[in-house]
Amino acid sequence: MDSFSLPSSGSPPKLSTDDIMTQLRTQLEQAYAEEFLETVRGKCFDKCITKPGSSLSGSESSCISRCIDRYMEATGIIGKALFNQRH
Amino acid sequence: MDPSALNSPELQNLLAQEKEKAMISEMISKLTSSCWDKCITGSPGSKFSSSEANCLTNCAQRYMDMSLVIMKRLHQ
Repeated sequence: MDSFSLPSSGSPPKLSTDDIMTQLRTQLEQAYAEEFLETVRGKCFDKCITKPGSSLSGSESSCISRCIDRYMEATGIIGKALFNQRH
Repeated sequence: MDPSALNSPELQNLLAQEKEKAMISEMISKLTSSCWDKCITGSPGSKFSSSEANCLTNCAQRYMDMSLVIMKRLHQ
């Protein structure tokens, strides 16, 4: 994760709480997006590219597309299941 | 930057909230990965079968149940 980048100027920067939180949230979102991407790559490679050929076949490409959609859907299902607990 | 701004209760509170959100996000991320491996055994389709969808839901809820069991056991 990148370190925070402060605005460079002659006088000392006055960073408000808002500035700090905005930078933090932006960097967190970037980190989540990268992590998600990495996970989807791994899962879909395992599911869809079972016998690597000399190029991506049509069926591999559609598998990848479905895989991405399903993985996003799975993330939603898990999120909902965690917060709809009935004990 | 005024160093005392880092100690502000407001900032500490906001950071604590973000930390909690981050922990939840991470849990969802790890659980989705595990439950995907357990439940989606074949090639991904254009939608989940009801057994796949149920498996994912069950997976998350059983994880929570397990978590409770572990907590109780470790507090004995």
